[in-house]
Amino acid sequence: MTSPATTAPRVTDRGLAVAGVLAVVALAELVGRTGVAGVGWPPISEVLLYLTEPSAQALLGRALAATGTAAAAGFVLGTVVALLVTALGALVPATASGLDRLAAVVHAVPLIAVGPLLIAIAGREATPTLVAALAAGFAVFVAATSALASTNPAQRDVFAVLGAGRLVTLLRLQLPAGVPLIVDGLTLAAPAAVLGAVIGEWFGARRGIGVLLVSSMQNLQVNQLWAAALTAAAVSLLAYVVLVAVRGAVNRRFL
Amino acid sequence: MTALGTTPATPANRVARGAQALLSRYWTVLALLLGWQLFSSLSGLNRIVVPAPGTVFGDVVTNIGVYLPDLAWTLGMAAAGLVVGMGLGTALAIAVWSSRVVSGMMTPVALIMRSVPVVAMIPVLARVFGYGWTTVLVITSIVSFFPAFVMVGARLRDAPRASVDLMSVLGASRLTVLRRLLLPHAVPGLLVAFRLTASTAVLGAMLAEYLMGGRGLGTLFAQSVSFYQVDRAWGTALVATVVSVASFVTARAVERWGTARFT
Repeated sequence: MTSPATTAPRVTDRGLAVAGVLAVVALAELVGRTGVAGVGWPPISEVLLYLTEPSAQALLGRALAATGTAAAAGFVLGTVVALLVTALGALVPATASGLDRLAAVVHAVPLIAVGPLLIAIAGREATPTLVAALAAGFAVFVAATSALASTNPAQRDVFAVLGAGRLVTLLRLQLPAGVPLIVDGLTLAAPAAVLGAVIGEWFGARRGIGVLLVSSMQNLQVNQLWAAALTAAAVSLLAYVVLVAVRGAVNRRFL
Repeated sequence: MTALGTTPATPANRVARGAQALLSRYWTVLALLLGWQLFSSLSGLNRIVVPAPGTVFGDVVTNIGVYLPDLAWTLGMAAAGLVVGMGLGTALAIAVWSSRVVSGMMTPVALIMRSVPVVAMIPVLARVFGYGWTTVLVITSIVSFFPAFVMVGARLRDAPRASVDLMSVLGASRLTVLRRLLLPHAVPGLLVAFRLTASTAVLGAMLAEYLMGGRGLGTLFAQSVSFYQVDRAWGTALVATVVSVASFVTARAVERWGTARFT
């Protein structure tokens, strides 16, 4: 049903949205052109021009491959570990409260405290993946614990009365019912994994977007710095958009 | 009469029960400390790589004078950023509420900006604002801005329709409705934003200090790492962790108090 009365505001909305984004881009370009923010803020058009150079594309491509691999591996690893820990809490309720506290503490441990520890134990190559796994795992853990707790008591009683053990209840009731909430957690975990991988690289990785960001900051390569930042933002946005699409598909199936 | 009811509440019993509750909640934290101790003594790695927990605690306790000024500086930066960022976030949320044009233009921009990893943008901000405390403040402000903008905006939009209508019928201006009804209604949203942001602001401040130098816990950490003062580096990490947990717990307490007060 698209009566003229409802489409008109929607067209205005879209127009305003485009105008808003354009205004921000134009403002960024203007600040860069006039140089009011100093040499650290180049015109956006120059950054985009820089992105068309083959050498820049090769450089960013290599960095992107490293960061993307670390983020994806960390996302998978963090999700699997978080789900296993959640399952442990559901199967052995005595551990649940302690596991909650552990997750809160692990999450609160600032990433700069974890970096050197991971480099000492796991090495430079594995650190970005592990930081990404930590960042993603926490989001999944929080979502999964509340997902498993959200089944309604009546259903759980039915399972208990029919003699289902904790494992059967977990696999047949809590997990299927919790899928939409867990997927919600995944949409938060995906950008978190990208951010985790970038920060993990600051502690001494050899290549990646994070390395490129810090080295171009130190060497005053402003266009390269902004190009790397735009790439990081785009990857993070992409990870989010993909997971939102997945969530839509899952919700159609499970709700 | 339950078994629990008949147990005399002697001090010894109370202590025992308290210890049990504590153990069931914090066994994982204890296990973590134990694992750290075992790892440092059994792994065969040099003390320079992984110091024992005892020496790290010892360094923090005996050299607390080294840690405190940097700690205070970092906390100050995080707090100032929280005030500025949450203030601006609230102001923009009110602007979006008051004007359809601002709302139409800002909402998609805010949505895009929200998924930009701000903390990863520290190098860019450092180039634009220079290496110094202003950049740290800018970062903690940006980190605090978006949750406040989103949460306050949501509360402004879902204010009870009937109360708004009643006030308008009685001749209240839009400003009066905002001041008397909507802003008090938005306070819990602001408090949720505070809980979400408090420890992130501390982390953002420390990461910025780590990359740029200057003052603060992040710089202390970077310096101890580059001078191989391992106990100091781990001590800084420990202090940072405790501060981060403490700021989260404080923020949660403030949120509970405020929610009870304003709803």
